[in-house]
Amino acid sequence: MIKFFPYRYRDYSRIAAEAAVEAWRQGKFLEMHELLLKRSPKLDRDSLISYAKELNLDIHRFIEAIDNKKGSDIIERDLKLAKELDLYVTPAFYINGIKVLGVRDADYFKSIIFKELENVKKK
Amino acid sequence: MLKRNSPFIFFILILIFLIINSSEAEKKKKLEPLTEPPVPKDNPLTKEKIELGKKLFFDRRLSGDGTTSCASCHDPEKAFTDASEISLSYPTTRNLRNAPTLINVAYGKYLFWDGRAETLEQQAEFPIMSPFEMNQNLDFLEEEIRIVPEYREAFKKIFGQEINIKLIAKALAAFQRTLISKNAPLDRYLKGDKNALTEEAKKGLEIFTGKGKCIECHHGAYLSDHKFHALMVPENPKYVEEDKFIVTRRYIAKINHYPDYMNVKEDLGRYFKTKKKEDYKAFKTPTLREIAKTAPYMHNGIFKTLDEVIEFFDKGGGKGNKVLKPLNLKEDEKKALKTFLVEALSGEDLKIKVPEIP
Repeated sequence: MIKFFPYRYRDYSRIAAEAAVEAWRQGKFLEMHELLLKRSPKLDRDSLISYAKELNLDIHRFIEAIDNKKGSDIIERDLKLAKELDLYVTPAFYINGIKVLGVRDADYFKSIIFKELENVKKK
Repeated sequence: MLKRNSPFIFFILILIFLIINSSEAEKKKKLEPLTEPPVPKDNPLTKEKIELGKKLFFDRRLSGDGTTSCASCHDPEKAFTDASEISLSYPTTRNLRNAPTLINVAYGKYLFWDGRAETLEQQAEFPIMSPFEMNQNLDFLEEEIRIVPEYREAFKKIFGQEINIKLIAKALAAFQRTLISKNAPLDRYLKGDKNALTEEAKKGLEIFTGKGKCIECHHGAYLSDHKFHALMVPENPKYVEEDKFIVTRRYIAKINHYPDYMNVKEDLGRYFKTKKKEDYKAFKTPTLREIAKTAPYMHNGIFKTLDEVIEFFDKGGGKGNKVLKPLNLKEDEKKALKTFLVEALSGEDLKIKVPEIP
């Protein structure tokens, strides 16, 4: 499950989150998510529109959505949840209830996942 | 008479000097139980100061974007490390080195892997203002703390002064001096409880002090010689070619006035600071206390397990080092050594309750 948490000190984090919400509404969330990570920090409006074109999204709907902040209800809901959970840094993950904050490498995740799998086996 | 005997007297004096010195050296290379940590006269520990330091330690105001506190990289849940190979960093940047544990840091004579600070009071400012750690401006931080009435009151009461960065550092240092691992089996053993170590750990202790030569650098109560050695630990391949990592390495070289900083391809450790030949790629001998809880290991977290660390030393360290020689430990000796490290050096878990931040 993915939740939105636009980093407050980045100019384009909010509009990028809007782009991702609209991509989700058009069935291409993961593809957009990948593109946003790959192309960051190029996340200005024009770049986002070009990514939407690349993913064959309905461009009129996409532009209308990001310009009118149509994803704000979802983004605000997630931000509220983050505040309630005392999350303040991005990325933040929960794996079987284990909180992982900040940028970690793949090995770090693997060790948690393998440990959790072992625990399941023991049970 | 005196004149005639003077070469003889001189010889005797030299002999006495050598005997004293060698016995001093012998004395240094023993394991000792932890005693009370040293506390500087100008920063005595008080309950109120420790509490204030604890609040500041967990306060994210100390970072520029309000996302990072000292506890982010020195997490009490992770034995005061962040359990990452390379420590967590300020958003969009990459750190350069592994976050060492703060447990027993009060006994350290040098702070940071390159020893650029000699007291916890000096140390505190570095990560706060580092662009790839907390990225906070110190003057700005003073104002951010000063605007909080509870902090204003606490500083006035404890220090009798207005808030400033030096006092913030003093409070942080006071809290960190309380992070002591108590009642480790090694301490109990050294104080006479011969049952404090299992037979396997006792065998490991023999390897530690004998064939393994660990004690050469890991001695005293802190299990460190407080020196810097170039073991030629390999660069961490995961990061060495990464742009963000290169940026940080160049930055460190640049601010230390390393002339060819654009072409520095390795972490040169203490050399960046001292420019002394013997410090080239040298890093501080870390304490081994709590080692079982503080993986991954070495200044760049390149070794995930103690087995890998033992293998590294057994093979005589990294390529080209002049400090270590192969140990040729047998498998059962390596196993016993690991048992000693894991069992003997782990004290009681520190229970830290996260304070309410004003």
